[in-house]
Amino acid sequence: MTDGPLIVQSDKTLLLEVDHPTAQDARRAIAPFAELERAPEHVHTYRVTPLGLWNARAAGHDAEQVIDALLRYSRYAVPQPLLVDIADTMSRYGRLTLEKHPVHGLVLHATDRPVLEEVLRHKKIQPMLGERLDPDTVLVHPSERGHLKQQLLKIGWPAEDLAGYVDGEAHPIALREEGWSMRPYQRHAVEGFWHGGSGVVVLPCGAGKTIVGAGAMAAASATTLILVTNTVAARQWKDELLRRTSLTENEIGEYSGTRKEIRPVTIATYQVLSVRRKGVYTHLELLDARDWGLVVYDEVHLLPAPIFRMTADLQARRRLGLTATLVREDGREADVFSLIGPKRFDAPWKDIEAQGYIAPADCVEVRVTLPESERMAYAVAEPDERYRLASCTPAKERVAETLVARHTGEPTLVIGQYLDQLDTLAGRLDAPIITGETPVAARQKLFAGFRLGEIPLLVVSKVANFSIDLPEASVAIQVSGTFGSRQEEAQRLGRLLRPKGDGRTAHFYSVVSRDTVDADFAAHRQRFLAEQGYSYRILDAEDL
Amino acid sequence: MASRRSAGDSAGPPTHSESHAASHAASQSTPVRSLADDLRTRSDAELAALLLARPDLARPVPAGFAALAARATTRPSIQRAVEALDREELTIALSAVVAAESHPQGSGLVTEAAVRALADGPAAAAGLTRLWERGLLWRSPQGWHVVSTLVDVLGPHPAGLGVPSREINPRYAACSPPLGPDLDAVVADAPPAARAVLDTLTWGPPTGSIPASGPTHDAARWLIAQGVCAPSGVGHVTLVREVALQLRGGRLFREPLQPPAMSWEPTLDPATVDRVGGAHARDLLTLIDELADRWGTNPPRVLRTGGVGVRDLAALAAGLDVSADEVNFLVELSRTAGLLGRDGSPDGIRPEAWVPTADYDTWAARDAASRWAVLARAWSVSPRATHLIGAALGRGTTVGVLSPDVSWPPVRAFRQDVLDVLGAPPPGAVATPEELAAVLAWRRPLRDRHTTQQVLAVTLREAQWLGVTALGALTSAGRLLAGGASETDLASAATSAMPDPVDHLLLQADLTAIAPGPLDGALARFVRLVSDVESRGGATVLRLSTESVRRALDSGMTADEVLDRLREASRTPVPQPLDYLVRDVARRHGQTRVGGATAYLRSDDESLLSGMLADRTLAPALLRRIAPTVLVSLAEPATLLDLLREGGYAPAQEAFDGSIVVSEPASRRAPAGRVRPDGEAPAPVLDATLAQAVVERLRSESRPGHASRAPARLQSESAAIQAILRQAVSTGGAVWVGYTDSDGRSSKHLVSPWRFDGGRLYAVNGDTETVFLLHRITGVAPA
Repeated sequence: MTDGPLIVQSDKTLLLEVDHPTAQDARRAIAPFAELERAPEHVHTYRVTPLGLWNARAAGHDAEQVIDALLRYSRYAVPQPLLVDIADTMSRYGRLTLEKHPVHGLVLHATDRPVLEEVLRHKKIQPMLGERLDPDTVLVHPSERGHLKQQLLKIGWPAEDLAGYVDGEAHPIALREEGWSMRPYQRHAVEGFWHGGSGVVVLPCGAGKTIVGAGAMAAASATTLILVTNTVAARQWKDELLRRTSLTENEIGEYSGTRKEIRPVTIATYQVLSVRRKGVYTHLELLDARDWGLVVYDEVHLLPAPIFRMTADLQARRRLGLTATLVREDGREADVFSLIGPKRFDAPWKDIEAQGYIAPADCVEVRVTLPESERMAYAVAEPDERYRLASCTPAKERVAETLVARHTGEPTLVIGQYLDQLDTLAGRLDAPIITGETPVAARQKLFAGFRLGEIPLLVVSKVANFSIDLPEASVAIQVSGTFGSRQEEAQRLGRLLRPKGDGRTAHFYSVVSRDTVDADFAAHRQRFLAEQGYSYRILDAEDL
Repeated sequence: MASRRSAGDSAGPPTHSESHAASHAASQSTPVRSLADDLRTRSDAELAALLLARPDLARPVPAGFAALAARATTRPSIQRAVEALDREELTIALSAVVAAESHPQGSGLVTEAAVRALADGPAAAAGLTRLWERGLLWRSPQGWHVVSTLVDVLGPHPAGLGVPSREINPRYAACSPPLGPDLDAVVADAPPAARAVLDTLTWGPPTGSIPASGPTHDAARWLIAQGVCAPSGVGHVTLVREVALQLRGGRLFREPLQPPAMSWEPTLDPATVDRVGGAHARDLLTLIDELADRWGTNPPRVLRTGGVGVRDLAALAAGLDVSADEVNFLVELSRTAGLLGRDGSPDGIRPEAWVPTADYDTWAARDAASRWAVLARAWSVSPRATHLIGAALGRGTTVGVLSPDVSWPPVRAFRQDVLDVLGAPPPGAVATPEELAAVLAWRRPLRDRHTTQQVLAVTLREAQWLGVTALGALTSAGRLLAGGASETDLASAATSAMPDPVDHLLLQADLTAIAPGPLDGALARFVRLVSDVESRGGATVLRLSTESVRRALDSGMTADEVLDRLREASRTPVPQPLDYLVRDVARRHGQTRVGGATAYLRSDDESLLSGMLADRTLAPALLRRIAPTVLVSLAEPATLLDLLREGGYAPAQEAFDGSIVVSEPASRRAPAGRVRPDGEAPAPVLDATLAQAVVERLRSESRPGHASRAPARLQSESAAIQAILRQAVSTGGAVWVGYTDSDGRSSKHLVSPWRFDGGRLYAVNGDTETVFLLHRITGVAPA
């Protein structure tokens, strides 16, 4: 019996005992093929999935390495069926390859003829394929490259895309590392991506994904299309690119609801691309407006379905996905894999925090007790009203005041879901409020003020969730959230995790109403925090 | 066929033409003339070996050698013995039968030389001795004798040979069959069609059907004329046995016998095999404990057929997170090992359910290896054939888990065979299922191939779940099990293979607890109570939730006890959120209480209620105060009212909705009446229909064979109705039919049924034909 740090479970999860002397080696050995699912203090849980195994294959690992890693570090006997399953699953990747034929263009080539036969007979795949060139090769319509990969993955025969990329229109882009330099993990991420061709880089919020994007653009030195979630994010990308690269104002265009500029580097929002009039996507011409050499997808886990469909047509261009998590609440991880590419780089949150690039955070859940009258109102409320009632109790406002008072002088955000509640809070705290209705200009002005320390306290709605850079926020008080969204929790925590000038701890407070659905949802989010390795405490409001 | 050899095993006169004689028999003073004589001369060890090889001979204990011999020559017993032969032994047995039938003296006498020639390969002497040991042959100073039943059991066409020439009806035999050079000449002269027929029939089956005309027809006629074939039944010919033997070159089988080769590759490190097997064994114990936990608190009903419902099994499979097949196995194994039993009252007040037995508790308290040994031994001798589960039983039903239909005793021999084959090579050798199937087919050639495949697959699967095999090889403990070792030996082998239990948990802030190895005893029970399993394997991931903590509190633990127990088991401090969770659940636990009372008593006058509590005359009502203005009582409301009135109080009765019940003198009523249970309508008043029936009966009286009396009493039981009607249809007799028509009117008819099928009775009623629907017939009686 070996005394390894790893325990392999029958449900294909791997438990890693982090305090074990060889835990770090084991972690490195399993990271390529297993997804970190939970990282609480003592035992981390990884999961082995077909996608993870194929990611590993795409990164050049074979089944033997995977099985060897399991056997070497496993404390107990590894279940035989699991090993067989791993070998089987991994051997499925790459039996079909998409290649560029010198004469015929894009072809699907098989190293295993029966697999090709199976695929050729598939109802949905058949129409995408053309003439059979030889027993192992079949012509593929170039426009179907993405759809074909998607379908092949769906039936369990993921194709390796070796057909290469068009270089696109060259455009000189260089990083201007003046007074800053790329962090080692960012450099690894860029290398991992560039080497792999296309794919996804997973980095926690605050770890500098924009810089990875800039690095990739410098590596490509070609015209680039950047797709982001919203206008604010688009402006921030632009600012960041101006600051970090040789690009000038004139070279960067914004393609959004208000402006339609197409320049060598164009930043477009998901929203504008998804606009449809009379069933037709009106802004599709953007994709063909230039001969793009690189397409960057920010926040890949939020990529809407129409963009996936468009991405299917962009398979000849290099694609870089940036995200904090591969978990999509709609479960379309497989589409990310087949259309954007396999995971090329992944750095766990905790590792980056340990390197000092992310601020440590102190998470506290504060439980308030509803007053008698509100408990009554809650008890008789319709189920769909209960969450709002529980979330918006005035008791929370008092707690928010106490917390704000406690952290006077530190840049503080009060985050909430319900506008009425936020309005009241803004009034009580005498702080400016930012909601979806706040004009972009006003928003940016407030953010700038906050950044400069002129405004120490901001009340924000969920617009603050994504891609706004608030470097010095060190206290967040969450008074209500979108039910139990784990993604949102990650984003909100991310707001705080940008490194602080003085290295102090960030504070993240969630105020929840005891014995209500609010507490249930909070429990779900807290569990996510604990799984990410953040210790959290639960306090009663009276004990504050 | 038995009659053909009149003097076989019992009274064959000794002949002296054979020089070959078994030494053992020759040394005896009494001449051996039958199997019984032979058995009498066998040594104790030989007899014991015989009984072990054929256990059916020993139960019940036979009265003497004659009885033993008689039993050993019954057809079922020989059939079983033959099914247990391997391919080589079977070849020898077939050769012996063919040799005995062609022996000039008959009487089942066989020479070793003849057997050797026919079998062409296997060592004939050794093979014959093995058959003798099994009582399929007996020996006399003259030689070996075949037990006549063996000839019957091996069938009329042993090894695909046709009838011997002497058994051919001389009427059909054109001439005696040509043999030797004559046959060669016939074959040389044969027209091509005849050659084709010969080629087809030579290696069996020996009988072919012949078309009414055409070249094959002519060829068959030609072959019959030559005496090579004989007609057998209409349109069929059989190749004469002697001819076939010569054409086969004197051998029984075309291919020489070749035992299937096993590669036994790869060979694994036996320690690894044991370790993996030990892990499987551990998992099994955990799963059975969880099964007992679940069914102990929430037992599934025993179905009418004796099994357990598919839904209950699906719920269990989901709960244990194992496949349906594995759940079936776990449930059947628990039952076989006596850990699961039926409980309930036969009157149906408490319906019968499957629950853990008292033996389970004894078993659960033992150490892991001993527990495993009990399961392994139970499995190895279990008659439960789980491959039958789900098989169709007809009428849309299938064989259910724990139902009597799963029992199939031959499965034990199958299972033992698989273990024997796996145990043959050195430890660590791996066999593929295909190789195993080939070896099993060699070992038991007469077993149904398909069944063997099924049982093999299931046995391998179950052996792996049990930890008897791992990675495709037999574990050390499995090897002992195959050899029939005792539970103690099994347990000691298992002890070294199983991972050591751990005595601690790792508690984490995400409210999980991880047991980094198997848990035992009190800690395992505590953990099962206070948490839910999230994933299983080498370690166990447990989740503590509001529900699971509440479960622990429900069982009588306090929050401090739960936390102390967790602190004790954990090597790290209890995380703050976990501490908060337990205390938070405890805070709300028991805030609302539920109890039972049969009556309540309320009054706004609190002092009046206090007075009642103190009043001794009300003591029988067992009053208790639950609020200043409410008392509860265990007496019925009516009794309580009476008691209060006797005590001088003036209570009013309140209905459940709070309104006052105005009481009136009660008089009892039976529940609304129902028709008489036997379903027979009370005797109807004479109406037109009935009168008509009487007239008809009077008329039918005059018909021959239709003498009828008034029906004594109509048979109303459904089986009886159908029996009487069938009888009436077949004999043409008249019957009385009680009938309820579509308007609900009952009537009686005297009719002569002529057809009864599809739920309808077609009968002649006077001159008209009437159709009665069976489900409307209330009763019948023969007229």
